[in-house]
Amino acid sequence: MKLFDIALGLGLAVAGLLVPLSGDAYLMGLVFQLAMWIALAQSWSMLSSTTGYLSLGHAVFYGIGAYVCVLLTGTVPFAAALIAGALAAALFATVIGLPVLRVQGPYFVILTYGLAELVRNVVMRIESALGSFGRMIFMVPSFEVLVWCMVGLGILATLGAYAVRHSTFGAGLAAIRENEVAAETIGVPVARLKLLAFIASAVIPGAVGGLSLLRTGYFEPAQAFDPVISFTIVTMALVGGTETVRGPLLGALGFTLLSEALWSNLPQLYMIVLGLTLIAFILFVPRGLSGLVDRLWGRG
Amino acid sequence: MDTLLSGQLLFAALVSGSLYALIALGLNLVYGTLRLLNIAHGDLVMIGAYTAFWLFTLLSIPPVISIFAAAGICGLLGWAVYEGMFRRLLSNPGLARRVEANSLILFYGISVILQNAAALAFTSSSRGYRYLDTVITWQGVSMTGNRLLSLGVAAAICAGMLLFMRFHLFGWELRAVIQRREAAQIVGVNLKKVQPVTIIAGFAIAGVAGVLVSMTEQITPFMGFPFTIIAFVVIIIGGLGNVGAGVLAGVCLGLIETYGVALTAPGYRSILIYGLFVAVLLIRPEGIFSKAVRS
Repeated sequence: MKLFDIALGLGLAVAGLLVPLSGDAYLMGLVFQLAMWIALAQSWSMLSSTTGYLSLGHAVFYGIGAYVCVLLTGTVPFAAALIAGALAAALFATVIGLPVLRVQGPYFVILTYGLAELVRNVVMRIESALGSFGRMIFMVPSFEVLVWCMVGLGILATLGAYAVRHSTFGAGLAAIRENEVAAETIGVPVARLKLLAFIASAVIPGAVGGLSLLRTGYFEPAQAFDPVISFTIVTMALVGGTETVRGPLLGALGFTLLSEALWSNLPQLYMIVLGLTLIAFILFVPRGLSGLVDRLWGRG
Repeated sequence: MDTLLSGQLLFAALVSGSLYALIALGLNLVYGTLRLLNIAHGDLVMIGAYTAFWLFTLLSIPPVISIFAAAGICGLLGWAVYEGMFRRLLSNPGLARRVEANSLILFYGISVILQNAAALAFTSSSRGYRYLDTVITWQGVSMTGNRLLSLGVAAAICAGMLLFMRFHLFGWELRAVIQRREAAQIVGVNLKKVQPVTIIAGFAIAGVAGVLVSMTEQITPFMGFPFTIIAFVVIIIGGLGNVGAGVLAGVCLGLIETYGVALTAPGYRSILIYGLFVAVLLIRPEGIFSKAVRS
């Protein structure tokens, strides 16, 4: 089982790092997408899989990262703009974290969604008040560099998710998931751990948003904060399985390939398949693809 | 100031407020009795709207009649969703806990399927039809027939539902299930009857609301989501599962929205609604008007 995980992780990482050398634009685009979704789904899992606080608003961190990045490119080097994007997302998580994380269960789910939509509308309003309808950026680094950066973020997020799960920090988060009141009673610093997990799950999406922006070269708030991003992350992570670090990898891999096959020709069919898969997995395969792999290996 | 005090603005507020109350009523019934957060609720509004549109354009059937067709179609969908997805799972307590936590995600799946299936079948372009759109002026307030009709139907259904829940035995059972599900079962309420009836009624009400929307607005396959959000805002202000307060909150939201936009600019409408939504959840997630409903 360990062997499978290591092979999967190393295989994806090596393939991701080698593909830009080939110079094949299609493959690079594919790797970029895959690495992006892995980075996002793993980041999401640091909060939502571990604590059970399902965030339906991760697009907000992605969007903030993209926004800060587009405001800064041109004045600072692109690496600095990316880091600023990540830090801005983390800062936002820190500021809203304590009040938002007091809200529990289904309320938390819809609150994160509403919050993301609120920020999206505020940014849209600011942009139209400034008279800007979409910003173009120039002088972006080459696509190879962007792919490497995104693969780097994917690897970082995966290692981060692993580190979170296999630490006392992760044990504390698991205690919160199982029974928050009991965890608090036996001395788990519930509020602080939740806040840290929230911030951890926000940083990398901030950088991912910045990188995606550099790839398209165009910023439009309705797109950067698109709720479909949040929904796709949740779908990938849940279908992949929330119990292991392997889950988001498998989920992102499956849906990226599926979208490659269907999106360009039949985008509506892709979305329908996405919906059907999500329903089927929640009802019948609660442990996700990752659980299926376990069963295939004969260790249920 | 004159515009603020005019009957015109009040009429507009009441039309949208009654519609919001109606849409939220369906969502609230489903949450109250089944503890399922139906994020696909707005898409049922969309289906109701398309039902009215096609019946009107193809068969010249007026929306007043389509109301029944839309209620039937959406109700049938509710029955199918209940039988196909939730019946077995809700009756098993172990599974029920997980499904309730995930119901929002499940309904998201349904929502995505409905939206995209509609887009495949009807294309994404927006459509509309003209029905009762002559202007009637009364006491200086200009109204169109379709808006008056919308207000009348929405108010009648909301009032009827509230009266039904107060005076009919089945309405009592419904309220009992909403307030204390386990206790209701002990005193003899048949959950297996109440739950499917409620989900069918909740879905059907959304379909009716869709017919009302289609009379005055352009419709698209993706029109539903804003209505879902508005319905959530309404029932969170009123308290999840609290049907009466939800109706009141719907009317209030219509007033707040109309007057808020009149005071600022149309561009602030979404910010206002989402801001209210976030503020209410942060300050008082159990609702402004009500005591919490315990699950």
